[in-house]
Amino acid sequence: MVEIKNVARVDTEKCLGCAVCQNVCPTEAILVVNKKAEVSPEKCVACPNCSGMCPEDAVELVPRAEPLKLGLNWRQVDQDRLVEMCRKAHLHPHQWLCLCSAVRVRDGAAAILKGARSPEEIALMTGARTGCTVYCFQTMMRLLKAHGVEIEPQKGYRWYDSTQTLWDVPEEIVKKYPGHFLEEDKDVFRKI
Amino acid sequence: MLKQASPSYIRKSMYGPDPRKRAAELAGIGALEIRDLFPEVPEEIYREGADLSIIRNATDAALENVNMDKIGPDDSVNILSSQYGFQLMGGDAYAEMIRTIHDAVRARTGCENIRLRVATGFRIREPDEIIRHYKLDEFFQGKARGVRALDRGVPIETDIGTLYGSARVYDADWIIHAHHGELRELDMHRMINRAVKPFAMSYARMETRGVAHINFGPRSSNLIARVIFESEFVQSKFTFGCFLLTSPEGIIGVEAGNDLDRLDRKLMTAAFKSYGKIRELLSEITECIAVMDATGEPRYMVGGGTTFGNLTEAELDLFDLDIIPVSLGYGLYERPPGPRVSSVNPAIKALVLNHMWLGVPQMELPTHIPTIVVGRDLAEILDGDPMNREFMSRVVTAENLDTAMEFAYGIAKTDKVFVFDGSFGAMTVSESLADFLLDRAPEVRRRVDDVLMPKWLRQRGLDMEQLSDDRPD
Repeated sequence: MVEIKNVARVDTEKCLGCAVCQNVCPTEAILVVNKKAEVSPEKCVACPNCSGMCPEDAVELVPRAEPLKLGLNWRQVDQDRLVEMCRKAHLHPHQWLCLCSAVRVRDGAAAILKGARSPEEIALMTGARTGCTVYCFQTMMRLLKAHGVEIEPQKGYRWYDSTQTLWDVPEEIVKKYPGHFLEEDKDVFRKI
Repeated sequence: MLKQASPSYIRKSMYGPDPRKRAAELAGIGALEIRDLFPEVPEEIYREGADLSIIRNATDAALENVNMDKIGPDDSVNILSSQYGFQLMGGDAYAEMIRTIHDAVRARTGCENIRLRVATGFRIREPDEIIRHYKLDEFFQGKARGVRALDRGVPIETDIGTLYGSARVYDADWIIHAHHGELRELDMHRMINRAVKPFAMSYARMETRGVAHINFGPRSSNLIARVIFESEFVQSKFTFGCFLLTSPEGIIGVEAGNDLDRLDRKLMTAAFKSYGKIRELLSEITECIAVMDATGEPRYMVGGGTTFGNLTEAELDLFDLDIIPVSLGYGLYERPPGPRVSSVNPAIKALVLNHMWLGVPQMELPTHIPTIVVGRDLAEILDGDPMNREFMSRVVTAENLDTAMEFAYGIAKTDKVFVFDGSFGAMTVSESLADFLLDRAPEVRRRVDDVLMPKWLRQRGLDMEQLSDDRPD
């Protein structure tokens, strides 16, 4: 269970409605409506993105009255399907999905089996992607694709659909760049 | 009797507490000079506090043979920098190299539209702090801007598909790659195409940083940087690279060139010569208390000219490409293949956090080492860190450095102390650790010279002759 103690608050006097915050929010918790940013507290995971990126210093993180609790029980889903999804994604269920919040790959897979269809939904169901918001993104996308989810292109630049993996590199490219240990590194991952 | 230690300057930041009593001031702590351990480590031309004209002259000399013909007087140029360069020795040397590049380009090409881009990791506001501290916006006449992983992207077509750079990096006609040779993330780059690594990290969007960090392995990740650098898009803008070369002694020179492959070979051989023995010596340490007392996050905090990450991973020889690191980056650290080692070197018996910045997920520290946080102000900052939500529930807080050390001695049951205070030229250590390291250095020298160095070179298609070949091309 991940406890979120803070929430973003917008100073509407300062906000110019530039939408940078909307483009960097990992959970679609902040949207610009009528040229002002608005926060949905039930979706805000208090990551450092909107407050850090706002060019007008119009967003700050303030304490919540009650912590927002995020998380799920991965044992409640079909374990065979969970393992199969992880296998297709070349991930181990026990691996970290999100280092910041200590969420594992099995939690992300369980969220997808429970209906999550985007990185934003996985984040809100598991509590992942609430810190740096960067390194868990690829693992989420790999799980979604392994499950056959059709990825909707994003408006703006919240994220780009780019999920190349070691397993996708064509043979001719492996040969073109010798000394990069591509096959050897596949063996490393196979062993887990 | 050890000499007095010289800790590095601490730059004030919103990501860390105010500067406080330095660990170098503690009784029994002093400087063990690198030259007393390994006199053969490349000698510095500059160390913190020295005359910056040394850096300016070295940069000018390095740029003499660089071809700048592509750049026209009416063109725009981005000088690309990364935040870590500004953490080395107070950052003044890196800032001066950048200023010198600017002046040389303007003088030789007539170009006036020269801009600076300062890239960062997860400390989103850090570029603003850097630009303000070193007065770079004034120097670049209002054209210095930060680059974050979350900024708008630009697609880059590569041999493995579309990857994404930061649009702000590439929004000029030409780019200049201004970097450094400090090891930093050896577990990630493994000295394979080290020179181009920032093209998949500092200069890249978050998706592409993730592709390199998460989707590729512990020797293949730098392929991402390579394919980006070799893309038509980047090659259409790239002019030259300019690097501060470092050793544990300090800045050992400046290298520049249009051919990054040549620079990469220079960085590789310089890294083996500069860091090979120190890294191997760290693997000899069986017990110590580590004290963080500088700018940056612990993993990248320098002590004796080498980062704390080299101590936490000292069980493994990461120059050896047969070895698989226990890296957080690949999510492997609890079930690593290969040698069964801990994700944090168990020789670190206690960790004292006196001064540090937030900036990376680092829960592996308090979950593997008894950790003492110095001061309520640092504790408060750590408690609000979204990248390490459980950090403060796994550590204790001491009112001040003296009581923190008393507690650490009690837990660790060793008087060997290693302070990471940003110093180059000397390790800030206790007498007992100094004696231990001096005793082990000769055997480490023999092992590196006779066994390890030839292997590291062989694995990368080099031989011992190339190691000593310092001739300019």
